[in-house]
Amino acid sequence: MAATAPTVAGTTATPVPPARRRRPKVGAYGLLVPASIIIGIALGYPLVRQFVISFQEFGLKQQFGAAPEWVGLQNYKDLLTDSYVWTVIARSVAFCLVNAVVTMAIGMSLAVLMQRVGRSARITLQVSLLLAWGTPVLASMTVWQWLFDTQNGLINWTLSNVLGIESMAQHSWIIEPLSFFFVATVIVVWMSVPFVAFSVYAGLLQVPTETMEAAQLDGASARQRFWGITIPMIRPVLSIVLLLQVIWDLKVFTQIYVLQRAGAPTRDTNLLGTLIYSYSKEFGLAGALATIMLVLTLALTGFYIRQMLKEDEL
Amino acid sequence: MKILRFAAVGVAAALALTACSSDSDTPSETTKPTASESAAAPEAATIKLWLNGTDTPDALREYLTTTFAAQNPGSKLVIEQQDWNGLVPRLQTALASEDQTPDVVEVGNTQSATFTYAGAFSDLTSLYPELGGDKLLPGFVEAGTADGKIMAVPYYSGARAVFYNKDMFKDAGVEVPTTLADFTKAAQKLTTDKVSGFWFPGQDWYNGATWIYTNGGDLAVQDGDQWKGALSSPESIKGLTEVQELFKTATKAPADSDSNEPWVPFNQGKAAMFSAPTWARWSIDLPECNEGVAADDKSDEATAKRTKQQACNEEHTGVFPMPGLDASKVATAFAGGSNIGIPAKSQHQELAQNLLKIIFSAEFQNMLGQNGLIPGNSEYATSMGDDVYAKAAIAAALGAKLTPAAENWATVEGDRILEDFFQKLATGADVTKSAADADKLITDTLN
Repeated sequence: MAATAPTVAGTTATPVPPARRRRPKVGAYGLLVPASIIIGIALGYPLVRQFVISFQEFGLKQQFGAAPEWVGLQNYKDLLTDSYVWTVIARSVAFCLVNAVVTMAIGMSLAVLMQRVGRSARITLQVSLLLAWGTPVLASMTVWQWLFDTQNGLINWTLSNVLGIESMAQHSWIIEPLSFFFVATVIVVWMSVPFVAFSVYAGLLQVPTETMEAAQLDGASARQRFWGITIPMIRPVLSIVLLLQVIWDLKVFTQIYVLQRAGAPTRDTNLLGTLIYSYSKEFGLAGALATIMLVLTLALTGFYIRQMLKEDEL
Repeated sequence: MKILRFAAVGVAAALALTACSSDSDTPSETTKPTASESAAAPEAATIKLWLNGTDTPDALREYLTTTFAAQNPGSKLVIEQQDWNGLVPRLQTALASEDQTPDVVEVGNTQSATFTYAGAFSDLTSLYPELGGDKLLPGFVEAGTADGKIMAVPYYSGARAVFYNKDMFKDAGVEVPTTLADFTKAAQKLTTDKVSGFWFPGQDWYNGATWIYTNGGDLAVQDGDQWKGALSSPESIKGLTEVQELFKTATKAPADSDSNEPWVPFNQGKAAMFSAPTWARWSIDLPECNEGVAADDKSDEATAKRTKQQACNEEHTGVFPMPGLDASKVATAFAGGSNIGIPAKSQHQELAQNLLKIIFSAEFQNMLGQNGLIPGNSEYATSMGDDVYAKAAIAAALGAKLTPAAENWATVEGDRILEDFFQKLATGADVTKSAADADKLITDTLN
């Protein structure tokens, strides 16, 4: 940050009118009440309930009226001593990081591309990205499933009939865990790239042309300008988008679940989301694992969020 | 840009909260145990019956609503159709709520145990003799019984039979097999580069169970108050070895498919045989017989064409019950079908019982049989007629067997342990080792 700090500070620090700070705080807090109530009901209640349930023996019997039994940390102990749960956690973190990084790389490249190409090319690109973003998940999952279908899939047909790779004619893409996660990554990345591309593109538009011109006059090459000026200036956008990607990719559920049902071996391909779902008859265990997942998310992103909030205080 | 950044952090925080909690929502309705039966007065009301899929034909539904209205003046029956897919989670929430629960509900036979042990159904023990008593299909009654109380009774059963393409049999010089070993040989002989002798997808444990059961094995057995996976018993291993031989030498079906719609490859000429419940006869549509009529065309001409098409399909297609170890017996196949029960939270227990009495009346049981479903009361099985389909269905049903009646069996299915296991066999994994691994998972899940 050191080299570019002056530029960033110079362009972002908008003077705050001092009058704002002197206003009575009661009114400001009053404005927060409606939003807080909604968040409290919609998010707080389930979260608290999940937390409470994770310390209980809560199964179907309890769902139908039996009194739940307090078991303390038993659910957590059961989960954390199960090596399979650790395998799934490791798998989820790896999947999440790979996907977030790949999505960011492709999304950023597309954003830069959008900025550089002509109007019609840009609009075509934007429309296709919006379509990919706007297609309902289950609808696009069905299409992807058909593309990768073992018997009648377009991918296998192209590989065997067009490119002449005979062995791919009946190839199953999802039966091997690694190959399964490759397909899942393609799909997840395809679905999340538009969001990254548009957010970064919006960030790029905020970079003032004067600064770039000045740098050019000072003899900075295109590469230097990109890495030295553009990237630091859009850093806040990049951080937030990456943060969201990490969170989304860690809790990925629909894509994995649908692909599993398409014929993949379930146990070898479970991620945290699908594993929690599989505890649908033992709510206590599910609550405990969901809480573990929450802690994991915070651990992965906490440092990052602190960093962002700190930058804000500058 | 500062404002933008601040807003973005806020949005990120809100999204992060959503992100963390949305997967983990636990059903928030904990209803107090209420003794709903005690308050039941035969007061006029509208009651709900949940039926799954399209297995119950429209004529039967209409019969139920009109008969119920006639016998219970002022009351009304509404039938709501549920999808088989995702049924268990839906019932978990609906049956636990007084406002949402149906008053009579159909549930898959292998799913019953999940709900009977949890106390989701009302006790039907005292009504049992009136509904048919010992004549009700015993395996299904067992699946609906928890702690000695009968909680759900058999609605219908569907037996599996093998459908075969007569022309392919003739061309390959193959006769209808009379023993299970013959079946494997016939399937191997019918298999070519493009055609599966027997359509046997890798995750199809419903059919795979036939080889385990017929050889005297089981999926899980009870040992005291514990359940144990039984796939590694010598009998099961013998059956599973035959299964793997079929996977290797007699099918081109993908290892990553399940038992859904096996008639599709059959119709395309890619399979010479498939095994499915006998109502699959209505899904057979061979190209040489297709008359090209739209399904919703109700004209006389279209109806005539459809009849002709069906006759042609059935002329080219044969059906037989899977043969047993020797020619005198048929195989022990996996029995599909449903149970039916009254949710404990229903506010109309008495009306619901009246509906059950209509369902178990001779008239309705016969109607089930006439529509190709094996009625819950075995006394009326003769109503299925005596064509080849009915004969194959009844023969197969007599020996049919259910999944283990363990409280947590539905979790084994939910975790797809058997799908994973059969898929491993299909990809050539070692039978003994895979069976031992799967047994361990089943044992852990059931206890």
